[in-house]
Amino acid sequence: MSISQLLSEFGSQYAEALFTTWKLTALSFSLAFVIGVAVTVMRVSPVRPLRIAGEIYVQIFRNIPGAALLILLVYAFPYLNIVWSYFTCVLIAASLIPAAFCSEYLMAGINTIPVGQIEAARSIGMTFVQTISKVVIPQSLRSSVLPLTNLLVATMLTTALASQVPLKPRDLTGLVAHINTHAVGGVTAFFISAMLYCGTAVVIGQVGNLIDKRVRILR
Amino acid sequence: MSDARTNVRDALYEPPGPRTRRITAAATGISLAGIGVLAALVVRRFAVAGQLDAKYWALFTKGTTWLYLGKGLVGTLRAAAMAGVITFAMGFLMMILRISRLRAARAVGTALVEFTRGVPTLLFIYFFFLVVPQLGVAMPAFWKITLPVAISASGIVAEVLRSGVNAVPKGQREAALSLGMRESSVFLKVVFPQAIRFCIPALISELVIVLKDTTFAYVVTFPDLMQNAKVLISNYDSLLAVYLVVAVIYIFINYLLNRLSDFAAKRRDRGLVVKTG
Amino acid sequence: MRNMEPDQNGAEVPVIELRHVEKHYGDLHVLKDINLRVGKGEVVVIIGPSGSGKSTLCRTINRMETIDAGEILIEGVPLPVEGRELAQLRAQVGMVFQSFNLFSHRTILDNVTLGPTDVLHVPKKEAREEAMRLLARVGVESQAHKVPAQLSGGQQQRVAIARSLAMHPKAILFDEPTSALDPEMIGEVLSVMTELAGEGMTMLVVTHEMNFARRVADRVIFMDAGSIVEENTPDAFFSHPKSQRAKDFLDSIQNH
Repeated sequence: MSISQLLSEFGSQYAEALFTTWKLTALSFSLAFVIGVAVTVMRVSPVRPLRIAGEIYVQIFRNIPGAALLILLVYAFPYLNIVWSYFTCVLIAASLIPAAFCSEYLMAGINTIPVGQIEAARSIGMTFVQTISKVVIPQSLRSSVLPLTNLLVATMLTTALASQVPLKPRDLTGLVAHINTHAVGGVTAFFISAMLYCGTAVVIGQVGNLIDKRVRILR
Repeated sequence: MSDARTNVRDALYEPPGPRTRRITAAATGISLAGIGVLAALVVRRFAVAGQLDAKYWALFTKGTTWLYLGKGLVGTLRAAAMAGVITFAMGFLMMILRISRLRAARAVGTALVEFTRGVPTLLFIYFFFLVVPQLGVAMPAFWKITLPVAISASGIVAEVLRSGVNAVPKGQREAALSLGMRESSVFLKVVFPQAIRFCIPALISELVIVLKDTTFAYVVTFPDLMQNAKVLISNYDSLLAVYLVVAVIYIFINYLLNRLSDFAAKRRDRGLVVKTG
Repeated sequence: MRNMEPDQNGAEVPVIELRHVEKHYGDLHVLKDINLRVGKGEVVVIIGPSGSGKSTLCRTINRMETIDAGEILIEGVPLPVEGRELAQLRAQVGMVFQSFNLFSHRTILDNVTLGPTDVLHVPKKEAREEAMRLLARVGVESQAHKVPAQLSGGQQQRVAIARSLAMHPKAILFDEPTSALDPEMIGEVLSVMTELAGEGMTMLVVTHEMNFARRVADRVIFMDAGSIVEENTPDAFFSHPKSQRAKDFLDSIQNH
């Protein structure tokens, strides 16, 4: 099939699929960030059980394959009388895994702060909360811009898990599978999706670079 | 005298006074109780749903179950190893393009890196599963999983290798050139071996991504761990237990790989650390 | 030398006082029965070989380091061990670090205003004006809108001094303020410190700069292996050290 044929027949579905991928990506990334921050707080807290729980979270979800997690959520959880919609399952899988990496990046960001600056904050009379909110968090967020940009792209790629469940409307990967099993979409059908993914990734990367340039901390 | 604490996480907290100690102790107690309650709720969920019944777990007492899972695991490792080798070769070529002095070569390298990094593995898998046969190419399932997984990881490998090459001090190259070595042999004999040493931890981490991606082998019905788990499930009617065990196996293997990566990073950094104070 | 002996009525309480302070790092006994008083307006310089515990001693005074035994008093009040009380006390005792420790994500001006606005709750405008005055005083007002990494080490350290001054401290602790500086920048920092001393600031200075000690100190304290070995006026100490260890130390640095 040629591009024009494909687009006239499936154009609106591509638009819908792109939107679905974007929506899943935005929702998953937001959730992943919130969970990632929470897990990071646990990991840096002085409370040992919370630290350990945070570490366990990260080890589980950075190491579990996305397919394995999604299969557990979709096919195994109903045996525990937990039944979620396909969309919810994809969203959860595409959030829990990036959240683990998010926490790793934030931890790395925290570790870029020179210890002396924390002491300096204390020496001018800042309380623990002030030191954290005025020195530690701003600095670690600023040095996490590029990792978090990469994480946003990785989250988008993870949302391709949506193609593994009968989701309506389909995501970009699911649509290619659909087109190629119901018609002969050929290479073109694949390339349209690939370019939409790639274009999004490149735009995200550029925006990330711009933000990073503005907020990067000179050391 | 410098502080003995180097880790920022530990430096966040001052040595606790009596009040801080009391608060921390209370928080420890509460969080332990909370985690305990959570664990109890999970167990209760399993119990109420009958998923703790022996019939669901009995298959794991049989040697044949483990043998079969082991066979699947061998399939997973074979696919991951082959994909790893291919992705390294592809990454190497893309890196060479990226650092080339020819503008066109650099542009091609950049395009390839952006393309492979920006497209999900699953899309590449569907390409090999659905599109390649349309083109009249018959391909064994093994290659239908290893090739897309390898392609998908190659862009990141290229960037990892490039950062390694950049990390090699310029003087090394200049010194080798001054000995009269040819540009290409300087790169292959002096620069790249050092770059690789620098990259090994990141390359091992990349292997984790490759191994995780092979889980999609079920799409092309290649008998890997996940695929064999499916067969076990239909034989024993024990879906939850089998998938949980399989997930734990994956997590454990990847955990070991990550530990290996950390270990390699520590070995690499040893000797580079300059103690101050 | 200014009077720093408190009389029986407690009329003149030392700004900083350490009584029988002890500290260990594991098996290492880093501070041994340290007794020290710094009176108002006094400049006390601590010298000694590296590893003598002089830096640790300096850092215990605002509890950057904890102590195992003994007492530390600031204007007669025991140093709080934690929480808001400790933070409030630190706000009254400035500290200048070896590695400057300016907040690298903030401008020079912000570095100086952050303490006043966030800890002392001074209005922003007022804090800025005062900060600009202080930056002018240490000679870096033209750098106010840059970030720390754009300044030389000497400039950064002068900003760090301004940051301390902005808190109107009762005393300033200097923990080897010139040790991380290139030789050509040491002078500019020492001259700011000399000026401060002349204006009556109470200072405790850990340093290797013997000329500074000789010229500016009211009192020199020589430490070795965790103990205060000798305590004297700079003239007396440098011309007639009493202990063999002090003699050896002075010999060793003069040979350089």
